[in-house]
Amino acid sequence: MIHDQPNYGLKGFSRLTSESGLFLRNSFGSLFSREFLKVLIPLLVLWELLPRLEAVPRTLVPTLTDVAAAFWDLVANKKFLVHIAYSVGKFLAGLSIAIICAIPIGILMGWNMAIRKHSLPLFQLLSPIPPPAWVPLTIILFGIGLPMQIFLIFLGAFYPILFNTYQAIKDTDPRYLSSARVFGASELTLIFRVYIWHALGAIIMSVKTGVAISLVMLVIAEMYGGRSGIGYLLVEAKDFFQIPAMVVCMLVLGVIGWFSIEILKFAEFKLAIWKVGA
Amino acid sequence: MIEAKRISKFFSVINKDGVAEGMTACLSVSLSIEAGKIITLLGPSGCGKSTFLEILAGLQAPTEGEVYIDGVRVLEPLPSTRSEIEEYRKKYRFLSPLANDLFRDRPKHDIAMIFQDYAVFPWMTALQNITFTLKLRGLPRGERDAQAGYYLNKVGLGSFANKYPSQLSGGMRQRLALARALSVEPKVILMDEPFAAVDLLTRERLQEDLLKLWESSGVTIVMVTHDVSEATYLSDEVIIFSPSPGTIRNRFTINVPRPRRRDDPELAEIQQRIGKLLKYDLDNETEYTI
Repeated sequence: MIHDQPNYGLKGFSRLTSESGLFLRNSFGSLFSREFLKVLIPLLVLWELLPRLEAVPRTLVPTLTDVAAAFWDLVANKKFLVHIAYSVGKFLAGLSIAIICAIPIGILMGWNMAIRKHSLPLFQLLSPIPPPAWVPLTIILFGIGLPMQIFLIFLGAFYPILFNTYQAIKDTDPRYLSSARVFGASELTLIFRVYIWHALGAIIMSVKTGVAISLVMLVIAEMYGGRSGIGYLLVEAKDFFQIPAMVVCMLVLGVIGWFSIEILKFAEFKLAIWKVGA
Repeated sequence: MIEAKRISKFFSVINKDGVAEGMTACLSVSLSIEAGKIITLLGPSGCGKSTFLEILAGLQAPTEGEVYIDGVRVLEPLPSTRSEIEEYRKKYRFLSPLANDLFRDRPKHDIAMIFQDYAVFPWMTALQNITFTLKLRGLPRGERDAQAGYYLNKVGLGSFANKYPSQLSGGMRQRLALARALSVEPKVILMDEPFAAVDLLTRERLQEDLLKLWESSGVTIVMVTHDVSEATYLSDEVIIFSPSPGTIRNRFTINVPRPRRRDDPELAEIQQRIGKLLKYDLDNETEYTI
């Protein structure tokens, strides 16, 4: 027993490191491949040199070192990290509310004709409204603050997840359903053991779409209302004409988006392992 | 003992002009199948034999007629009057009409079904596929693994228990489907063109395996196929379906004792007769459509 305990912990730790190593290699390995470095390094050098040689006005286009310096200044100022944490928190909150609402509704709509007929037209009516168009109304309803921002992020992710889930569940291969039914599966078993698994790939795909749109909504929400987050910093930097800081904010947003997509890809790879046949 | 009494199935299909057209899949098909036999339903594609099989399984409701398995009716009759239709709709608002008593009491009927493209769940390993069906049949947790392993070994997949179907070959997948069907120890196995998707050599091996398993379990097998030699080699009775509308054209009882040889002259003769019959049907149909 005593010997087992640390051994187990070590195993868990080594598993964690190997999994995260796999994740990082899968996600960001492409950035440091020999082929891409041949493109990336000249680009970075150009970025540094062009403003320096005054080929482009340096006041408008900051050099790489300017941006790096701005980044360093911002990080040294602890507030920046707090802003990032706020943004990520809001993003995750809105996205998870959207996932929690949209996937079950989508499953129910795809599974049952009666539920579909009662609810689908409503969503079809509301979904074509571009999410940014909700901003004015949301500000009046919720005021400027956290609920409004989270609602807008939620809105960005909700419809893509809902419709793709619904479609994927509806398109479940009837043969799988038949063969489960013949063996006596109840509708609940069908949902949990057949429908969801069959639709899993499409659902994760839809969450990816949702992530992209809700990231847009995150920036919009923070630009319009609120005293926190990257979007707010972006507007603030614009007001003070700090172009390097703006570039840093943009890059940080890009990294957040990329990171969340890669996490989903990894989840897809792990969950739907039967598809790749590993 | 399966009894189908005057089964008819009509579809309405909406054609590209937006007009609903009636289509007859089966017309007044009556059939009784004795326990412990292998029966094949043979016919050109689109003659309603697969539909008929699904009606036997209770996966589709017949428009008219009834199916009894061991004297128990497979699906409740479809509604005919307006009030009946309303009641039916209300009853099955949140359920498929197929998920009725029949499927709840499935162990009583003890049907298993094998489909052409395997229909083993790709998100479960070979073992999980079988334990899942055993769970559906209400086998206690402790016994599932042992029974699943037993049947996997029986079809020669013992060492592939933890593989996903995508990692298995076509023949192995079909064998897994066979193991899954047998594992619930059914009285009847319905097969819808089970060996159509594998190559000839694999098909012949699977046929041998099927016969071996059939002999050791004494299960009734109803198989749909369009392969004449497969039908004659395997079955006790071949039932020929003719298309549009799907009706029973003819039936051949095959009394050749098992084990049979594939080049048995008696089988060859029956094959020839069946071939002629099918060709005649097809020729007539082409004349008709031209």
